[in-house]
Amino acid sequence: MISEDLEKRTHDLLVKAAHVYREHPRAAARLRQTMDRFAGPLRVAVAGGARSGRSTLVNALVGEDVAPLEPAVFVTYRDGTQPRAWCHPEQGRPYEVPVARSPEGLRLGVDTAVPAAGAPARAVVQWPSRVLRRTELIDTGLPVAAGRVLPEADAVLLLAPRIGEPEWEFLRAGRGMRGPAAVPIHAIMVLTMADTHGDGQPSGLLEARRIARRRRREPSLGALCQDVVAMSPLIGHAARTLRDAEFRALTAIAALPRAEADPFLLSTDRFSAAASLPVVDPRMRQALLRRFGLGGIRLALTLARTGSTTRSGLADKLHEYSGLKDLQTSVAELFTARRSALKARSALIVLDQLFRTELLPPSAQLLAELELLVAGAHDFTELRLLSALRSGRVELPKEVALEAHRLLGGAGTSLGERLALATEATTTEIWTTAVTSTERWRQESTLADRTPAQRRAAAVVLRSCEALQAGLAATRGDL
Amino acid sequence: MWAGTTRKADGQRMTNWEAGTTAPTSPTSLTPLPRPAPDPLRGAGSGPWWMDTMDAVIRSCHTHGRPDLAERLTRRRTRLLHPQLRVLVLGGPAQGRSRLINALINAPVCGIVPDSETEVPTVVQHAAAPVAHLVQRDSPAADWTAAVGMRSRIPLTTERLGPSLAEVTASLPPGTPLHADVGVPRTLLANGLVLIDAPALSFSAPGGAVAAAQDLADRAGADLVLYVCETGRPLGDAEVGVLAALGQVFPGLVVVLTKADYAADWRRDLAEARQRLHRAGINAGVTAVSSALRAQAVRAGDDALNRESGFADLIVHLRQMVEAKPDRLARATAAALGRIAVQELAVPLRAELDKQDDDAVPESARHLQVTHQHLDDLRKSTVRWQNRLSDEVTDLMADVEHDLRERVKAIIADADEFFGEADPAKSWDEFEPWLRQSLQELAQTSMSWLSERTEWMARRTADMFPLEAGDVLPPTALAVTGGSSDGAYGLDAPPVAAFTPGQKLFIGLRGSYGGIVMFGLATSLAGMSLINPISIGGGALFGGKSVHDESKTLLKRRQAEARAAVRQYVDDIFAKLNKDSRDSVRRAQRALRDHFMAVTEDLQEAAMESLRNAKAAADRDAAARELRGRTLRAELTRLAELHTQSLALGERNSA
Repeated sequence: MISEDLEKRTHDLLVKAAHVYREHPRAAARLRQTMDRFAGPLRVAVAGGARSGRSTLVNALVGEDVAPLEPAVFVTYRDGTQPRAWCHPEQGRPYEVPVARSPEGLRLGVDTAVPAAGAPARAVVQWPSRVLRRTELIDTGLPVAAGRVLPEADAVLLLAPRIGEPEWEFLRAGRGMRGPAAVPIHAIMVLTMADTHGDGQPSGLLEARRIARRRRREPSLGALCQDVVAMSPLIGHAARTLRDAEFRALTAIAALPRAEADPFLLSTDRFSAAASLPVVDPRMRQALLRRFGLGGIRLALTLARTGSTTRSGLADKLHEYSGLKDLQTSVAELFTARRSALKARSALIVLDQLFRTELLPPSAQLLAELELLVAGAHDFTELRLLSALRSGRVELPKEVALEAHRLLGGAGTSLGERLALATEATTTEIWTTAVTSTERWRQESTLADRTPAQRRAAAVVLRSCEALQAGLAATRGDL
Repeated sequence: MWAGTTRKADGQRMTNWEAGTTAPTSPTSLTPLPRPAPDPLRGAGSGPWWMDTMDAVIRSCHTHGRPDLAERLTRRRTRLLHPQLRVLVLGGPAQGRSRLINALINAPVCGIVPDSETEVPTVVQHAAAPVAHLVQRDSPAADWTAAVGMRSRIPLTTERLGPSLAEVTASLPPGTPLHADVGVPRTLLANGLVLIDAPALSFSAPGGAVAAAQDLADRAGADLVLYVCETGRPLGDAEVGVLAALGQVFPGLVVVLTKADYAADWRRDLAEARQRLHRAGINAGVTAVSSALRAQAVRAGDDALNRESGFADLIVHLRQMVEAKPDRLARATAAALGRIAVQELAVPLRAELDKQDDDAVPESARHLQVTHQHLDDLRKSTVRWQNRLSDEVTDLMADVEHDLRERVKAIIADADEFFGEADPAKSWDEFEPWLRQSLQELAQTSMSWLSERTEWMARRTADMFPLEAGDVLPPTALAVTGGSSDGAYGLDAPPVAAFTPGQKLFIGLRGSYGGIVMFGLATSLAGMSLINPISIGGGALFGGKSVHDESKTLLKRRQAEARAAVRQYVDDIFAKLNKDSRDSVRRAQRALRDHFMAVTEDLQEAAMESLRNAKAAADRDAAARELRGRTLRAELTRLAELHTQSLALGERNSA
């Protein structure tokens, strides 16, 4: 459909470029790498400053402790049949390193193999995980320079406690002035440390999410990234890997009368002191503190007291309250489901740059083709509108907002998902639904009582409908 | 109870650490210290000793042309004499500055505009009843403590401070320099403590956070700075830079680590921060507090919790600082400021002195040397041009004579050739104009050549002058005058031996006599008479031959005479021309010599003059340098004394 078209045309352009530049070793190597990446999984970079929770977030997203304890610049996580790891030093060939799981996390046997050079330049961790199957995660390490991170990834999760000047700079650097780079569909801003809001009380998390909601409506920020999500990687990670012992300890504390337990929840000192809360072993309490943080413990206790009586129930609630679920939804809707658009964007950025710097007689022609392709890339427009709808920068009436979201591919990009049809729908049914949708949105885009922004949004949805219908007509013609 | 014991142990450790050799020596201790002994040097009636030092430093700033520094110091001096202790609470965004102040005074006065960074700084001080104003300053650089007119003091509603502040701020144009002035009835503030909640430091701001922090502290009139940083993260490099800069001018600098209740291990963070500051050589105390615990403790009236929050120590410290302000803090501040100011003043002086030492040969001396050289060159060139001129003249004379001779020879040769054929008696009229013409041409050529050569000679001689003398050629080409105009007077024809008919007849008769006799005798033998036709024929033949021979001899003689006459004539002309040209050359030589002599004299005079000037300038310069060096050294010594004085202030402080 729409995405497939973009994917195919981008691929064609890549092949054409490879043919044109076959005599130029540098450009050819670059194109080969781009082709490989285009064919490979989506690469999502997790970038952020020191102690912004990059590796914790990676662990939380994968749901397992996959981040190595040893800090490294650029750790790539990819799917594989068994846990393995490689080191890519600055010079020399990559070599495999042994992997050992420890209670604190993953331990790579790098120290034996690497001379005193310190952390290896790049590491690749292979891990059998469903999350990583079609998406590679990249922990970019320090320092966070947009120029280093962006060429390595198709999409970026930018982590920061708050949006400060470095974050603005990073986001601005990601948005080019022209061509495919001008569509900022590649970034989601993640406000970590949501658990420290409001003195680390459970209400602080809600407060943080409220702030994030307000920030994502800001047009200046919306023009640079797709979404702003507030979350706590620490609590999210703990929720996804909640252990039985931890659950038992938490319920034991939650079972105490509040007057008895609350004084010990005032500070980390009080909570972890040997003499406090005799119902739980001090070492267990220390471990809880490490895994949840004080805010996480308070949240878990509140949840345990208000009805989450099973381990999975508590984990689910924690998962939701930590903001991890929001982030996962955003990533799924804006990144994973649209991997072809994102990969096409990365490839087109490389091509755009190539056609402008390595001038050959056919490059002007290729550049014109690329510009045509970018101008007609409806996927990018759909993604921007989805982001605007999510953040509330554009508000459609409630009754049509959901349908718009669906037709834009927010619930899945297949024909059935876009038109909300059952799998057994007949061709005629599909055709009728598509035609009705097109008609409805044609009307919607001309309604007089809508604001200009709403009419523009409706026009985008109409274009999606028309593309669906055109695709259908083509298949019918084939039949 | 665990909390009490650990806190106490921690306090103990802090005391030990701060009293050690590496401990900061200023009053940054957060634990009670014994009151300093009365100062023996301080007279009962006179002002404090630190003021003298500070005044001296300020005077020095003025004399060294640093009114900006002097003004800053004067402001600090005024502040130091003020009974209030203004404490600036500074830090990055969302580090808990406002909450720290709120927890200290147990009132929500700072950071009250919900979920936004503090944009309007708040000054919190004591008042009998809650009162709040928004103060609009005249310019961003205006001093906060300066008296402001009523117009720029906008009252705020104390019951709903946040909304009212937001309202008033929104009604003013953005970028207006503002601060809120809040009075609350608190015993902590009663003895003159003023807390200032500053806007967040932006570390990516242009110009750097250091300058921004110093500027803010200066304008806010701070006496003491509390730097706020949350636990759970290390102090950043930029932050350490700011602290280093602040620590130099604010002796009581304290780094407050906030949110200690939430941090996983605030003791480790505290130790790390101390180590970090110590490594960076920053003189600052470090403490960890928890505003949340303090708020909770005050709400619940829980004393143990209050102690745990770390605020008890902080409050004790602030109280001590208020007490210490007129004495210990003021002295330490004066010492630090004096030291910094003196160092700043000394930098340009030292640089100048170094520069003076570095370039051993100053400009004026170099100029003197060049002038000397110039004069020397001129002297040498005088001898050279004179030699050149005389050489040239000798050459020229020889050349001219030779040239004349060659030309004359050619003319004579032509004349000889001419008279080899022609009869002077017949062709003299033809020959004479030619000769005159040739000789005139010769004279002209020779003269023009001579004048060319003279010019060339002048140039050659002028070449001997040094380049910097400029154009020394005589203004006009020397006119070579000679007596060439009347050189070729007319040459009369030489006297010609005429061959008259009488002579011819006589010669013929004389020749024919022999013929007649000879032939007559011969024919007489044949019986003829002596005079017969044959003898007459022979006589005629002999007579004709004689006449012919005679006329030939005469022609030869005429030609020889003509040649000799021409040679004589041409020789005369040659001698005359030669004499003329020699005279011209000599005249030219004299003219050139006079001209170049005059030029040389002028040049020498100018060179002497400039040498005298250069000498005088060099002397003056050397004297000035000497004087400047002495002044600089004296100034540096004075500054060093001031520095020592300031150091002494600081030392007595720590003693």
